[in-house]
Amino acid sequence: MKVDKDKDEGGIINGLLGLAASYRVTLTQLFRKPLTESYPEYKRPLPARSRARIILTRDKAGGERCVACYLCSGVCPVSCISMQSAEREGGRRYAAWFRINFARCIYCGLCEEACPTLAIQLTPDFEHSCRHPLDFVAEKEDLLVDHGGKDGDYDFYHYAGVDCGEGKGTHEAELPPVDIKSNLP
Amino acid sequence: MPYLIIDNRHIQVPRGTTVIDAAERLGIMIPRFCYLKVLGAVGACRMCAVMFEAGPVKGLQMSCMVQAADGMRVSTTHPEAVAFRRQIIEWLMINHPHDCPVCDEGGHCLLQDETISGGHSRRRYTGAKRTYPDQDLGPLVQHEMNRCIQCYRCVRFYQEYAGYRDLGVMGIASRIYYGRFSDGALESPFSGNLIDICPTGVYTDRPSRFLARRWDLQRADSICLHCSLGCNTVAGAHYRAVIRQESRENVRVNGSFICDRGRYGHAYANLAERPRQSRLDGEPAGWREAAREAAARLKRIAAAAGHSAIAVLGSARNSLETQIMLRYLSHHAQWRPPRFFVNGSEARSTAAVVARLDSRLAAGLPDLEEADFLLAVGVDPVNDAPMLALAMRQAARKGAKIVVLDPRPVELPFAFDLLSAGLGDLPAALAVLVKTAVSQAGTDGCEAQEKAFLAALPGRVPDEKLQGQLGQAGGWLAASRRPAIICGSAIAGPELAGLAADLALLLQTGKTPSRLFYLLPGPNAFGAGLLQRGSRYFPSLLQDIEKGGVRALLVVENDPFFRYPDQDRLHSALGKLELLMVLDYLPSRAARAAHIFLPGATVFEAGGSFINNCGLLQYAAPVHEGGIPLAQVSGGSHPPRAHAPAPGSEKCPSAYEALLFLANELAIRPPTMDASPWSLLPEDFPGQAELLAHPYPTDGLQLLPRLSEAESLQTPVNLPTSGPAAGALTVLRVEQTFGSEELSCYAEPLRQLAGPPLALLHGADADRAGVRDGEQLCFEIGGEKVELALQVTNRMAPGQLIIPHHYALGRAACRLPAVVAQAELRGLTGQDSPDLPQAITES
Repeated sequence: MKVDKDKDEGGIINGLLGLAASYRVTLTQLFRKPLTESYPEYKRPLPARSRARIILTRDKAGGERCVACYLCSGVCPVSCISMQSAEREGGRRYAAWFRINFARCIYCGLCEEACPTLAIQLTPDFEHSCRHPLDFVAEKEDLLVDHGGKDGDYDFYHYAGVDCGEGKGTHEAELPPVDIKSNLP
Repeated sequence: MPYLIIDNRHIQVPRGTTVIDAAERLGIMIPRFCYLKVLGAVGACRMCAVMFEAGPVKGLQMSCMVQAADGMRVSTTHPEAVAFRRQIIEWLMINHPHDCPVCDEGGHCLLQDETISGGHSRRRYTGAKRTYPDQDLGPLVQHEMNRCIQCYRCVRFYQEYAGYRDLGVMGIASRIYYGRFSDGALESPFSGNLIDICPTGVYTDRPSRFLARRWDLQRADSICLHCSLGCNTVAGAHYRAVIRQESRENVRVNGSFICDRGRYGHAYANLAERPRQSRLDGEPAGWREAAREAAARLKRIAAAAGHSAIAVLGSARNSLETQIMLRYLSHHAQWRPPRFFVNGSEARSTAAVVARLDSRLAAGLPDLEEADFLLAVGVDPVNDAPMLALAMRQAARKGAKIVVLDPRPVELPFAFDLLSAGLGDLPAALAVLVKTAVSQAGTDGCEAQEKAFLAALPGRVPDEKLQGQLGQAGGWLAASRRPAIICGSAIAGPELAGLAADLALLLQTGKTPSRLFYLLPGPNAFGAGLLQRGSRYFPSLLQDIEKGGVRALLVVENDPFFRYPDQDRLHSALGKLELLMVLDYLPSRAARAAHIFLPGATVFEAGGSFINNCGLLQYAAPVHEGGIPLAQVSGGSHPPRAHAPAPGSEKCPSAYEALLFLANELAIRPPTMDASPWSLLPEDFPGQAELLAHPYPTDGLQLLPRLSEAESLQTPVNLPTSGPAAGALTVLRVEQTFGSEELSCYAEPLRQLAGPPLALLHGADADRAGVRDGEQLCFEIGGEKVELALQVTNRMAPGQLIIPHHYALGRAACRLPAVVAQAELRGLTGQDSPDLPQAITES
């Protein structure tokens, strides 16, 4: 079909109608109750699994869960976790120091997945902006909390099978130590 | 040569090769637990099952138990084999604890790897797990029996391969237990290998317990510096500290294992008291400032008293690069030629070895394992060079006769004959033994010169009992086909080294072509021997210092106080020096006495090449950058947070770099500043062309000539046949496995194992002197009194007093004067003045 470019029937009218419609939307929204939640006046509760600031949790007895196994630092894609493992009185392995550089952390959560003792956990607490880069470096005392986080009941040392003062064969699903000097069947 | 197909790939292997090894040659690692090439196959763990689809053997078989044969077609990925292996690993894991996060093996654990490769991620077994009590196995090895999968590797190594009996297997059925009868330190000086060979974490490294994961270590191929054998290691550093060493396989040197001195001797690199600060006249100074001042003072002294007023002392623990630089520097500055040994006897012994050893004669440790008769003279293998004892044991296991001719109460982990002869009688006794053998075997191949040499050898020793033993051992030597002579240099002088070479050559002309194996006093003693040509020995240098002929002494990685017998004389002589400049990484007495001190870098930081006792040049790669260990900077707590260069991260230049700097300051410029050290080698140095072409050969470079230049059969045969006059005692200062070697004596766990120092005396001498076993003897050493407990034994030669080279009585004791010079035996009767042995007389 041939289109006559000089004659644009209805073009101007359609344009004006479009303008009016958008003004109508704006005007109607102007007098409605707003949907936006103002931050920081209102803080929305986030799901427990959302990934932000990292904590080191404790077991039910109040002991540090972290055994400084280096799995989190090994898996960390940006190498923001460093630590030194050491042996406590009684044989428990623990972190002599533990450091996370949050300026580097990308909150991927791989450390939490790797952690065999549920010690390192990501929390919904995402608000930690600082003025100085060094303020992002969190030491062990900054990271340690006095609760068990997402799974408060788990205690690695109930299942590990290593003797940390309570004696061999006392963990979950363990037989008492065998008598190595006996030849009885 | 069987020709077989593994996973559709063809391979031809030597007859007798097992299928598991044939697959390994193709790069296919069949899972295994109990199988280790050096220990052989026992087929106990059932992990290496593969499917034999065609050929003489068919069906599912253990690949470690089946020898490769023509026409075999093997599938390692056959569904049935995969399912079988998967099942086995699940069974092995049934009782395994859930403790990988707190297990030091985690990260390099074979059991972890095989579990994952078996496709397991979750435990199906929900029943109760068996547990075991653990034992305290001493300061080196940590025991955790719950992890055991009963592969028997540890016991097979410990008892069969190494020959010690205190660790074994107990219990029956599902209660099989590997351990000692009761708690206590493992007796074997090879116990650290349990850590390497255990496929899981039953035995883990105790000094580095919980310190780091393998994947976090900075690792590099290194060389052990704790004796002259040059065993290959892998060193691992973490947070600027060397924390672990493992053995590295080298079939030309140490095979698959290393001794505990080598594995745990690295603590000197991490010492808190290791000197890291340059000092100028006792005051801290910048490194460059101190080095420039040293150059300025050297120039002044050279201008005032001539170039020959400056002398240089290197050591047998210098890298070859450092030794070359020392030689180059002293040659071009017209100083006195460098000396490398404090002990004149060691210098001459090493010179004799370097002159006499050639590829006709030289045997390596693997050759010793294949020998059928071993004669060790002046060697206490477990104490002098433990890996030598392990090699000798392999020969013994294959049926070799082994004879040890030594004044010490030598103990070895296999059956051998100890022929006790006094230090002075060793050459004569060796000559008598070989003469008997050659006479018995016949002198058909000998020429006139050899016959004359044979005739001139003494035929008897005064001691009738020893004569009888020598005759019997000579018979064994005559009947052997692959004998070898092992000759030490620690206590015996250079005459013995020369005589051993002559006798080995004499035997080579006959029916018993003997090889020769020397031990040397230090990891790079061979290099020192090659580069000390033309220099005189240290004792003559002391005389020159006392007379004022030498005014400046440059000491590089050596502590004369550690080895020189007369501490008082050394102290006063060094006090006369205008300039004593010391460059070292040990907190040595010489370092504290220095006018100018420059901190050095260890082999783990600088790397370097070392020539072992068989003339094999090997390269140790640097492991880490150096600097003060993080644990010391932060006091065990959080390391510093600052962005700026972290405190302690400054690294010390190596001795080679320091000497290069000094040369530059003295306007002695090498061809180019970044020239290879090999371009500075003297003309007569063997292997220079090869080294320039391939600077750091990965497999090492054999430097021995085909024929030695030295005149053979040259040793004068008027050998002394009796020891010192009756009533006199020869003082022998001997090496111990642990605690007496210059570097490893700083390792705390090894010092614990060394135990209290003992003086050994023969029962007859003790009776004569009226002293009893267990009595405390008081020695005067360099003005200080030292007490040693006396042990009386009749297994040693009479007429000797044996004391350890260096005794560790706590860290402070490392600074004690180390050796007895004018040993005054207060406990012995007055008229007995102990005769100084050759080893500490001056040359």
